[in-house]
Amino acid sequence: MAGGLPHPVLWSTLLHVDQVTIGGATVEFKHVFYTWCAMAVLFSLGLLVRGGLKLVPGGIQNVFEVVIGGLEDFVVTNIGEDGRKVFPLLGGIFLFILFQNLLGLVPGCDAPTANVNTNAAMAVFVFLYYNYQGIKRWGPGYIKHFMGPMWWLTPLMLPLELISHTARPLSLTLRLFGNIRGEEIVMVLFFLMAPIVGTIPVYFLFLLGKVLQSFIFFMLTMIYLKGAFEHAH
Amino acid sequence: MFFNNWFKINDKKYLDAISTAGVIGLHMVSATVVGLGMGWYLDRWLGTKPWLTGVFLILGIVAGFKNVWLDSRRLLKAQDKEDAERFGPKDR
Repeated sequence: MAGGLPHPVLWSTLLHVDQVTIGGATVEFKHVFYTWCAMAVLFSLGLLVRGGLKLVPGGIQNVFEVVIGGLEDFVVTNIGEDGRKVFPLLGGIFLFILFQNLLGLVPGCDAPTANVNTNAAMAVFVFLYYNYQGIKRWGPGYIKHFMGPMWWLTPLMLPLELISHTARPLSLTLRLFGNIRGEEIVMVLFFLMAPIVGTIPVYFLFLLGKVLQSFIFFMLTMIYLKGAFEHAH
Repeated sequence: MFFNNWFKINDKKYLDAISTAGVIGLHMVSATVVGLGMGWYLDRWLGTKPWLTGVFLILGIVAGFKNVWLDSRRLLKAQDKEDAERFGPKDR
């Protein structure tokens, strides 16, 4: 169900996992099911690549080396050598969100990121993680990141920084949710108007949109980590 | 050709620029909304009805503009770096 519109057919409906009863409470389970699908795809790809590691890469190993190598270079040029420590998380976030987004393009599947709860969970995790890294790096001196460039500006800058830091998970959540949910709704609309012919052109546009959204989430996480790592101004 | 442009979009430099530009709008709005929400809840908690909402709304708007400023500075920095790569370092 995308925005009240009937979804043509979903695997989760066929498997009766749209809603599950846990401890007497009926909860929406569709996005959890599709998150698990994305995880299963990623795990099996990872195991496949690890099982057949070769010195001269070929096929799927080549793709992974290009994607992950490129992202690592990007992170290291932006954050510096500290970036290598947090790169597993950043690359993981990028691939995870990418596969979650792309699930929306697979017939019979729905993007789990079209549900606000999935995005909120990831955004809150990112928020906690970069603050944890900042505190680990600077100790109590991390508070200096919130106090502005000059000491007499502190009463003004403290609430300002507090607000802009709290706004980060909100904007991360809403951006991903709005984009992916909107794409799902448009896709269902096009499908209702002209079943197969209408959906194929928008596939290309949405492929770009979904890659871009996962890259934006990854890039913002990187910028926040960079802000936590570098010296307070 | 369409596919050439497609690969250009997939180039990290362009992706970075597009993402930074696409992010600016919501950064401003979300800071404003968070400021308003904070002020509203603080007012309800402390019983100082209209005052803290206004103060925090203004703080939120200022924080939003600060976010926009930081983002545009990031865009400018990337642009300068590209120019330096292409035409040599600038003397300004």
